[in-house]
Amino acid sequence: MENAIEVNGLTKFYGSLLAVDNVKFEVKAKEIFGLLGPNGAGKTTTIRMICGMLRQTGGTAVVAGFDVLKQPTDVKRRIGLVPDVSNLFGELSARINLEFMGKLYGLDKKTRRDRIDHVLELFQLKDRQSDLVKYYSKGMHRRLTIAAALLHQPEILIMDEPTSGLDAQTARLVREIIVDLNKEGRTILLTTHQIEEADRLAHRVGIIDLGKLITLDTPERIKQNTEGMRALEIKILNGIDQQTWIPLISKAEGVDQAFVAEGKIRVLSKDLSQTIPTIVNLIDKHGGRIENISVATPTLEDAFINLTGKSIREEPLSKEDYLKRRLSRSGLR
Amino acid sequence: MKPLGSLMHSVWIAENDLRQSFKSMRHVVWSLLFPIFMMFTFSFRYGEAGVDPQFIQFLIPGIVGMTAMFGSINETMSIVWDKSLGVFDRILAAPVSSTSIIVGKTMAGAVMGIISALVLLIIGGALFNVSFVNIGAVLLIVVLASFSFTGLGTIISGLASEPREAIMLSNLLRFPMMFLGGVFFPVDAMPTPLPYVARALPLTYATEALRAVQTGPVLTVFIDALVLLAFTIGTILLGSQILMKIMTR
Repeated sequence: MENAIEVNGLTKFYGSLLAVDNVKFEVKAKEIFGLLGPNGAGKTTTIRMICGMLRQTGGTAVVAGFDVLKQPTDVKRRIGLVPDVSNLFGELSARINLEFMGKLYGLDKKTRRDRIDHVLELFQLKDRQSDLVKYYSKGMHRRLTIAAALLHQPEILIMDEPTSGLDAQTARLVREIIVDLNKEGRTILLTTHQIEEADRLAHRVGIIDLGKLITLDTPERIKQNTEGMRALEIKILNGIDQQTWIPLISKAEGVDQAFVAEGKIRVLSKDLSQTIPTIVNLIDKHGGRIENISVATPTLEDAFINLTGKSIREEPLSKEDYLKRRLSRSGLR
Repeated sequence: MKPLGSLMHSVWIAENDLRQSFKSMRHVVWSLLFPIFMMFTFSFRYGEAGVDPQFIQFLIPGIVGMTAMFGSINETMSIVWDKSLGVFDRILAAPVSSTSIIVGKTMAGAVMGIISALVLLIIGGALFNVSFVNIGAVLLIVVLASFSFTGLGTIISGLASEPREAIMLSNLLRFPMMFLGGVFFPVDAMPTPLPYVARALPLTYATEALRAVQTGPVLTVFIDALVLLAFTIGTILLGSQILMKIMTR
């Protein structure tokens, strides 16, 4: 089987709100596929439809050769879902949580016991297996959620924002687990709003915004496809907040996009030779002193901004975007 | 999925729900303290000295029915908590049919109602020396009543979007039913139009049947059991429809 997941024309309306708009992509077997987009882009809705937890308004989703609408149970047996927020039973111990999940997935008593022992060992939770889950730390919650999703040894693992809200150390551990699981031969579909995560983990990335899939390719190719776009990094010495310079720089000639990333102003332009003097003059004219200016290679975030016209960090949904999505069903768009 | 497999899914879901409820014994004790408190308070007939043995014979069956109502509805409220905490999604993501989930949740609610009612039956019987002559018939009524209350609880759980709303909705149902369902006052002695309202509540038939088991007539028990059965079927079907809609939206 070449494709583990095939999504075609997937659409979801919540009343008049268009949450997912005619999305089409396929996840190849044994790859890590990242669905990248800001919060509210439609990532979670998309994976809920793929997992058979939400009925689509239109289109199809085929998982491991089974149609989600027609054979939901067959699909669910082949998927392990790791939700963005831990949804284990807090009043029960880790072991009893896993026992319950094992039963629902039809594992016999011996298989259940062996696999529970194995995943508890693997995720270093064995010595806390009898503790109530409500007393677990966030990192332990996430590890146990992944363990629960692996209990029935699914061929496809779907992870919604797997490292969201975790400290750096636990996030790194979870990323290592994802890579290891993929090396074992599992297909992984993950959603993320963290560009670095998609860049670092995913073999292919689909960028989703306002419910639409904007582009789909390898992170490298997406970066290359910025069509000669170059990036410039500027640090203004007496700029208390670099953000205050953005409206001014954005309007300068030759500037395609300007935004703040990691405390520096980042400018995207197709012609830096013309843009650099313009920006330098502009900053000087407005009393700014440049501490540092350098040319950088475009990142996935640059590509994202170039494609969507906004930063992935922007939230919540702007009023204009919200109206755009609301009106779409009534044909007013 | 084979029928036995589906039934086992329901059993495990019910077991998991009840395990959580009994894990916190404090909750169980608190929920039983309320009917026990009501039983003691109302065992003294106002305006008269001491406990009235005749009134106790009237009160205890009513308290047993009321406890089944509280037990079942409280347990089905777990559906709303499950929805708000996302644990309902965990079951939805598993290869389990929607029917199995509904049957499992219904089983849990009914079992909690039955257990709670039986505990009060034992406590009330022991403390006030009330003996139930036909325990088989009592059990049948308690089971039917618990299932019909579970059905009502399922409807509330399906309609409520979050726990606070569920608590308000369930109070809106439980407290009027407690006072109009013939637990403390005979339905026939209520001023018009309250008896008509009372006749629309399953608790009225449960309390009436539990009293009629002791003192007759048998026909009343039979008719009340049939009405409770109708309530059970109606509420569970409606509750299932609402839950099914949530699960397959």
